[in-house]
Amino acid sequence: MPIHEKSLIDPDRLLSAEKLVIDGIDVSGHWNTTILPRTVPDYDPEFQKKIRALPGGENVHRCWQCGSCTNACTMYAINTDFNPRYWIYCTNLGLTSEIVKDKDIIWQCVSCNKCTNICPKDVRPEGVMKALAHWLEEEGHTTRSNPTLFDEEFTRQCLERGRIEDSEVMFNFFKKTGEDAIELMKKGWLGVFIARMNNLPLLREKRILPFIARLPIVGPLKMGWAMLFKPRTRSWGRTGEVLRAYVDEQKRKAQAHG
Amino acid sequence: MDDTILIVGGGPTGLAAAHGVASVGRKAVLVDKADRLGGAPILSGYAKLVPSGEWAKDAIGRMVTRVASHPNVGVHTSTKVTALEGEAGDFRATLSNGETVAAGAVILATGFTHFDAINKPEWGFGSFPDVVTTTQVEQMVGAGKIACPSDGRTPERVAILLCVGSRDRQIGREWCSKICCTVSTNLAMEIKELSPETDVYIYYMDIRTFGLYEDKFYWTSQEEFGTKFVKARIAEVTIAPDGKRLLVKGEDTLVKRPIVIPFDLVVHAIGMDPNEDNPEIARVFGVGLEKHGFLERGEHYTSTFGSTRPGIYVGGSALAPEDIDSCIAHGLAMAMRAVGELQARSAQPA
Repeated sequence: MPIHEKSLIDPDRLLSAEKLVIDGIDVSGHWNTTILPRTVPDYDPEFQKKIRALPGGENVHRCWQCGSCTNACTMYAINTDFNPRYWIYCTNLGLTSEIVKDKDIIWQCVSCNKCTNICPKDVRPEGVMKALAHWLEEEGHTTRSNPTLFDEEFTRQCLERGRIEDSEVMFNFFKKTGEDAIELMKKGWLGVFIARMNNLPLLREKRILPFIARLPIVGPLKMGWAMLFKPRTRSWGRTGEVLRAYVDEQKRKAQAHG
Repeated sequence: MDDTILIVGGGPTGLAAAHGVASVGRKAVLVDKADRLGGAPILSGYAKLVPSGEWAKDAIGRMVTRVASHPNVGVHTSTKVTALEGEAGDFRATLSNGETVAAGAVILATGFTHFDAINKPEWGFGSFPDVVTTTQVEQMVGAGKIACPSDGRTPERVAILLCVGSRDRQIGREWCSKICCTVSTNLAMEIKELSPETDVYIYYMDIRTFGLYEDKFYWTSQEEFGTKFVKARIAEVTIAPDGKRLLVKGEDTLVKRPIVIPFDLVVHAIGMDPNEDNPEIARVFGVGLEKHGFLERGEHYTSTFGSTRPGIYVGGSALAPEDIDSCIAHGLAMAMRAVGELQARSAQPA
């Protein structure tokens, strides 16, 4: 059946089946389309607590919907679907599905903090955007971001050994993000990085020996050694376990207080 | 020429006026149709008052004691004024108990009547026992227990609907009742204090917690007590299929979608109507009513709190929806006016 003004209906509320049989009656064809109701059937009071327990989300409950944040927003100027005021409202009432619907744009906040600056109730909307992006990631609604993957690897090494090994952090980070380190070296930022560490003008001037003399050799060798033997900070002992337990406990407390 | 002042109405306005008159050595006669003094805060059993946070029976109780024990004040309860003759400086009032009072001036502190929520039947009051008014919740708070009237259970979720009987052309209430926003945000905190597990939602068109009530009530209720504010004027309240919870239906203006949300207790934040006796009051005292049915002001700038009839003053919630603190100020101001006028008359050569 043709639907007029189809653009007014959220795509996820529009169900149509090639073949539809209801109560044994074949209604395929004209009657194959169903529009799910738009009605909000309930609130989830736990959602606000979850967001308040995340860094940046602490003040979300203060919002009174004046819209200053959206009005000031850098992203809203480009994309009117980017509406911090609306997400804050949905957070406070626990309209979780509305947040999930916008999972692909919430992370786009550029942290210009104009919203934080203008907010009359000190909600700190920029922090809320971070907390929401964080929650979406934790719940698996969005893929884990590169910063999160980096943090995980960094923290893991800190806790295990009381120190990090730069090259191992990068190595494992690339492994997790699936980025091609060789490609990055050839064309991307990694190549630029390496070039800057070396004295390339010498090479261009064909002064090979001075260039080799200045190549960073000892540092990378140390790194390679550390990557293979994974030394721990002296008398690290059980410190890592204790720290991890402490961090977990703090997280649990924050959730409980939310 | 009589230097007694007749005060009609023994609520905060009348009590403040009576004490004002008595404190400067004049005689006051205080008449109230109810069987005791105190007005709405006492008769309707208000809990803690806005903004002091004092219990009504303590705060208003002190006002009552101060007046009732004053040698300059005569009190007539369960009494109405049935007729008023004479003119400014020389009134003669007939009371329903048969007595007459000679008075130089009259102060009308006749107050308001709570909106009867039955006049908004779509919101379920009178149909479902768990739809109550702010007055009833005040009484619950006073008794120290929040419960659903249907079965006595503690509500998990409470909805307070603002503007019930206010700002509604449909039912001829075109005024804002001024204090219900503040009272409702305060009640939300009191509910949370008595039952920390209960979630309170306030359905609003605007929040009008004026002046210093903004942060003390609205912000504190939202930020410290977790009251949720939803911008929606409710269309109807019905009963859920389980026969137990109520369904609050409306449109969430900010989500732009219909809502049907289950609640255990729905509270109507009822507004302030003109006193239901105002037509009688207008007839007996010969004063005017303004278009909404409240008593009419005279010229306010130089004849402050004058009614439309010389020698008769009107103030408090008889004039318009008013909060208790303002009522008390009105009462004292009217005492000043009335005493001042008698003073001026007695100074004139007879």
